[in-house]
Amino acid sequence: MKVSLTVNGSAIETEILPLLRLSGFLRDVLGLTGLKEGCCEGECGACTVLLDQKPVNSCLMLAFQAQGHEILTIEGLGKADITGLQQAFLDVGAVQCGYCTPGMVLAAEGLLRANPCPDEGEIRHGLAGNICRCTGFETIVQAVFSESAVRQGMGR
Amino acid sequence: MMPLAIAVPADVAELRAAIVSSMNPVRFLAGGTDMLIAGRALPEAGLLIDITRVADMAFISTDGSDICIGAATTVATVASHPGLRARLPALCNAAAQCGSVQIRNRATIGGNIANAAPAADLMPVLTVAGALLRLIGRDGMQSEILLGDYTPAHGLITDVILPGAGLLRRSAFVKLGPREDLAISRLNLALLADFQNGCFGAVRIAAGALSHAPLILSFAEAALSGRKLEAAVLRDFLSTLAAEVDAAIPGRNSQLYKRRAIAGLGLDLIAQALGLSPRDRLFEEAVE
Ligand SMILES: Cc1cc2nc3c(=O)[nH]c(=O)nc-3n(C[C@H](O)[C@H](O)[C@H](O)COP(=O)(O)OP(=O)(O)OC[C@H]3O[C@@H](n4cnc5c(N)ncnc54)[C@H](O)[C@@H]3O)c2cc1C
Ligand code: FES
Ligand code: FES
Repeated sequence: MKVSLTVNGSAIETEILPLLRLSGFLRDVLGLTGLKEGCCEGECGACTVLLDQKPVNSCLMLAFQAQGHEILTIEGLGKADITGLQQAFLDVGAVQCGYCTPGMVLAAEGLLRANPCPDEGEIRHGLAGNICRCTGFETIVQAVFSESAVRQGMGR
Repeated sequence: MMPLAIAVPADVAELRAAIVSSMNPVRFLAGGTDMLIAGRALPEAGLLIDITRVADMAFISTDGSDICIGAATTVATVASHPGLRARLPALCNAAAQCGSVQIRNRATIGGNIANAAPAADLMPVLTVAGALLRLIGRDGMQSEILLGDYTPAHGLITDVILPGAGLLRRSAFVKLGPREDLAISRLNLALLADFQNGCFGAVRIAAGALSHAPLILSFAEAALSGRKLEAAVLRDFLSTLAAEVDAAIPGRNSQLYKRRAIAGLGLDLIAQALGLSPRDRLFEEAVE
């Protein structure tokens, strides 16, 4: 079947198998390997992408369901360079093995777009669908806090 | 059999035509947060109908006497709808505690019902609210049935109706999971009640994850109905809750744990419904 959608700002039209998951389409067909397929059960969040600005698990959607929608993967987040949010993750050491990072950053980006000024509880609740087995989450929360402050014009 | 065909109807007329015209088995796909979990068999033949594009199946209407919710409405929308929060906050609270942001952005209310999971979080609230389901059957005909009578064999749920007459002024939902967020309920409770001048009027309570479907806790309801809010009444209420657990899951490994846990949940339920702090002295006296 045919699907047309926008991925990282580019219009794409292609033939796909009906039961191909969005995660498989993005990784295997488009080569966007930033997102990971950790569990395929909605538990780990490593496959998180933004669908029309909102975080979703790309493993729990069929690719044809993205017809007409806008998908943002980690590859499309910064145009030429990494974004302030990604830099904040690096600055506070919120990246260790990096497996969770693309999904975590996109979940955080989705959170900040919906709620520019989250408190700690809201950050933890907003990132509850993303599991990190390395960092212990503290630094991730700090990174999101710090980026939120920058976006409020309060500096890092 | 023919290989799997996909239909993505744009409106109810197309949807009905797709259902009726298929000679092969028909399955529905909404948010996919249950159906697409790895390891679950996906249909290889027949017709798979994606209902997420059907116009007028994703809406919440709270202006009339009845509340009406389109079956393809996402759990995130249910959680954040101001009109619904004003009339049935328990349903918003239950939705806000389903899964993660990612899950809530895709999961639908229809999927939560059709999925028939014992721990489904919206189900106890819909049960105490006396929900009716509007359906389209395999023959394309529309019908309405009680939530508790629904099985997937009835077909597609198009709307969830919460009759105005059954909506009481106070409502609450609480859940106990293995962790704070992204947790399938080990136990959940929903309550609707009237409460005036320090006294309960009508009370309806249902529990999830104690049986295959939400269980109406009629003894716990009777312990509160028509009675004053005071420690002795709450003590009665707590002992009926424990008895309800004993009757529902006798001898089950989780019986001991759930009969203890339900006390704390029960008091949180009352606190939420009445806008009290769970640390209110009244609740301390009730457990002394
Ligand atoms: C990680 C994770 C966490 C979760 N946490 C929770 C939780 O905390 N609480 C909770 O209650 N649930 C939870 N769930 C379960 C699931 O997200 C919900 O049950 C959800 O509401 C299902 O809706 P859906 O639209 O995604 O269903 P789908 O996966 O699209 O469909 C599920 C089933 O329902 C059928 N169906 C869907 N819509 C209709 C309809 N309108 N009429 C008839 N049949 C229909 C489908 O054919 C399928 O058989 C969780 C799931 C995951 C993966
Ligand atoms: S791979 Fe999608 S949530 Fe784990
Ligand atoms: S950095 Fe290793 S899983 Fe998060």
